[in-house]
Amino acid sequence: MSAVDPVTVEAAGEVTSSDRRGREERSDFGTYLIGKIVSAAVSFLFTLIIGFTIFSIMPSDPVSALTRGRPTSAAQIAELKKQLGIGKPVWQRFFEFVHRTLTGDLGYSYQYHATVSSLIGSRIWPTLLLTGSSTVISIVIGLWLGIRSGWRHGSLLDRLSSGVSLTLWSVPTFWLGLILLVVFSVGFGPIPSIFPAGGMSSPDFGGGAAGHVVDVARHLVLPCLTLVLVVFAQYVTIMRSSIIDELGSPYLLTARAKGLRDDDVRRKHAVPNALLPTVTIIFLQIGGLVGGAITVETVYSWPGLGYLTYNALRIPDLQLLEGTFIIFSASIIVMNLLADLLYRFLDPRVRAT
Amino acid sequence: MTDLRSASRVRRRLAASVLALAIVALTALFSGAAPPATAASGSTLGVVSDTELTTFNPFTSYYDGELNIIGVIYPALTVNDKDNIPQPYLASKVEHSADAKTWTFTIRTGLKWSDGKPITVQDIVWTYNLIMKNKAAASANGSIVENFATVTAPNASTIVIKTKSPQANMLYLSIPIVPQHIWQSRVKNIGKELNTETPVVGYGPWILTGFKTDQYATLSRNKDFGTDFVVSQPKFDKLISYYYKSTDAAVSALRSGQVDQLTGMTPAQFKQLGKNKDLAVYQTAPVGWTGIEVNPGARTKAGKKFGTANPALADQRLRSAIAWSINRPQLVTKILDGLGIVGAGYVPASFKQWAWQPTAGQKIGYDPARANKILDQAGYKKDGKGVRIDPKTGKEISLRLGIHSDDDQDQQIAQYVKPWLQAIGLKIKIEPMSFDVLNKNLVKGDWDMLMDGWSTGSDPTYLLSIQTCGALPPDTSTPGYTDAFYCNPKYDALYKKQLATANQSERAKYIGQMQSILYNANIDVTLYYKNQLSGLRKNDVKDYLTGAADAQGVYPLQNHVVNWSLATPIKHKSSSNLGLYIGVPVAVVVIGAAAGLVALRRRSTAAERE
Repeated sequence: MSAVDPVTVEAAGEVTSSDRRGREERSDFGTYLIGKIVSAAVSFLFTLIIGFTIFSIMPSDPVSALTRGRPTSAAQIAELKKQLGIGKPVWQRFFEFVHRTLTGDLGYSYQYHATVSSLIGSRIWPTLLLTGSSTVISIVIGLWLGIRSGWRHGSLLDRLSSGVSLTLWSVPTFWLGLILLVVFSVGFGPIPSIFPAGGMSSPDFGGGAAGHVVDVARHLVLPCLTLVLVVFAQYVTIMRSSIIDELGSPYLLTARAKGLRDDDVRRKHAVPNALLPTVTIIFLQIGGLVGGAITVETVYSWPGLGYLTYNALRIPDLQLLEGTFIIFSASIIVMNLLADLLYRFLDPRVRAT
Repeated sequence: MTDLRSASRVRRRLAASVLALAIVALTALFSGAAPPATAASGSTLGVVSDTELTTFNPFTSYYDGELNIIGVIYPALTVNDKDNIPQPYLASKVEHSADAKTWTFTIRTGLKWSDGKPITVQDIVWTYNLIMKNKAAASANGSIVENFATVTAPNASTIVIKTKSPQANMLYLSIPIVPQHIWQSRVKNIGKELNTETPVVGYGPWILTGFKTDQYATLSRNKDFGTDFVVSQPKFDKLISYYYKSTDAAVSALRSGQVDQLTGMTPAQFKQLGKNKDLAVYQTAPVGWTGIEVNPGARTKAGKKFGTANPALADQRLRSAIAWSINRPQLVTKILDGLGIVGAGYVPASFKQWAWQPTAGQKIGYDPARANKILDQAGYKKDGKGVRIDPKTGKEISLRLGIHSDDDQDQQIAQYVKPWLQAIGLKIKIEPMSFDVLNKNLVKGDWDMLMDGWSTGSDPTYLLSIQTCGALPPDTSTPGYTDAFYCNPKYDALYKKQLATANQSERAKYIGQMQSILYNANIDVTLYYKNQLSGLRKNDVKDYLTGAADAQGVYPLQNHVVNWSLATPIKHKSSSNLGLYIGVPVAVVVIGAAAGLVALRRRSTAAERE
């Protein structure tokens, strides 16, 4: 019993070394994560500086734009100037801006007479619903078509899907929106009025919570369809070319040689490898979702952030503009961070570096 | 292989179930399509809001769409009738001192807010004083009460307003009165209060009962609304004001019956909708003008000159020549498709009480020969290139014409105006600018000519004040509210006189004289007044309009507060749900066919490969 079993020793040694490897990997990941978060924070700070600089040097006169065309006394103008911080030195305004941003106070909109956070808060969910649902549908359709077109490129499906998607991609969004609006909301020829002309819900649509869901869904159909039709082409093209790149790879030959069905070769071997470039695009898109789709929001009167930003820019309503700018840049930076982290799991090569 | 096949079968079944679910969901979706405007729960009048709807705080809101709602949910001392003349509302009687500085209102008693509490003189005094003393509460109506010295209630049915200087437009100042017991606790954050929590406690023909930011406001008929006002009890049970971000969507909503009334169409849309048998399209008299402002030289109140305007424009004769070179009737025909009125007076003619027309000898028409003659006589000689020379500087007269880059009509007008001005020897450079940049240049005085426009409510005091010396900027860094840096002591004297004349027809005479001065000065060359283009679903709503159309088919200016109450639903025996009956089967067939195709294709390709 005193003799030590060499197998046990070896096994114990192996356990210890794999344990250490695990710890090393975890600490590697910790360093990687911290590094990424720090660089994201630095990007955010730079974005704040750039945003502030752009809005500061932009030739604008919000006081006269806000008071134009309505009776305003000199005292009101003076008060407005004071509240907008006009006349204060740039550095002071910058520190106030950074302080406000870091404490979560996005400021006050003099155009809407409301806090910026309440304006953004009431419009961010409609925007996410519209852009989110259309992106998901575009991705599903785009990838499905892209994979099949690439796999059998030159086929009828490929020619058809590439042709249709690229044509729709080239169509101006507002024009397509207006056509769909006239056809499906007003009715055209034998097609009756099917969908509402705009907004996100109807005031007198009954049915409680379930009714509300149906109501929002039927308002969502046309704007979502417009976005999908215009956007899905990019997923088709990227996915198609990635699949084509993989077609000649030896590992596919091996898979076929093993007797796998063509369907399985495509799904289990080609697609996972071809998916990487698409993931980058998808995450960039998701980051930009918050930005909304100003044209579609305008055509279908969707109560989202895009139109709010446009109106902010028009005056310019500086604090509102800064607020939307912060939200847009933060969402893109966060999504990029997530994409970086996800890449580590999807692609072993990233883990190795 | 068996495993593979069963897996594929499972997948196919799963896909079929998802598809079936999608069909069910879509059917549910379609079954609610396009509800008719007159819903089963009662009659609903759907109108299109002029602007976005964000807040119904009467102390801060100044967008038309919001003000239209505020005007029917909060009372005021007076309310405009169908002819836009102020009539008694909360006040049943008004008396004023001879100097028009003390105004005594007898207030009705027995009226109640929508929560059942009585409307008292204290509510009125509190509202006025809040606007007079609280900067945040003054943001919408502060300038209206600027001249007020005190607002008091000597007894339970009297309000006395004393002003610092005479204020003849007192009855036009319909400031919304709010219930003190609701608003007292909101004073601290009044600038941020949106007042969108429904139902909103107020008093008026309607009660605000529902609201979705940027989408719509729902109002219910106030059954307890008094019957002895010029505004009647509404005939519809509900009023919904929808906001559409594009007129195309609003027009679509009108055509499909999702709304009943829309104001603010383009001439092309107006003509197109005129062919629709369900709709009545109509024009109403304009409330504003479109014109070219000419900069005679920017200056502060103290007379300090600044800006980069061409100094030649200080010469009234040059400005007059510009006015004579413009073919206004052609602009109405070409740009407005004839749906407008040729420009003349500063206050749009639709306000009959203030309307003014130039005399025959004063009237400026289109006469390039006369414009050239004026310039020749004034000593503006042409150089070899046919461009006029400013005798003072010896330089060619080159003028910038600033236009709004996002405004189609500005661009069209500029294309006409440029050759007309070139024909009298002026060099013209069109400068498209954003709204913001144009405004900034305007304030800095860095412009020669600008496309601009003004509109007014039934009291033109503010519109007239823009041309007073008092509207000039106090210094070069603070904007005034002038539009073309005009300052004329004669005009200012008349401005003061009209404000001190409580007799409104006598006041109108002074306002006419002021318009005459402006017409001759040519600092605002009024091109045209655009008729307001509207549409109404004539099979669903009747009695909406007031007054009769003139020979050109133009109705008098409408007052929406009156219209919304007068509008009467037309009952239909059965509402057509054609869309529903066709839409659902079509959708199911299309989806079914698509599903079948996909399934067939999958099966055949799978078989081929296997």
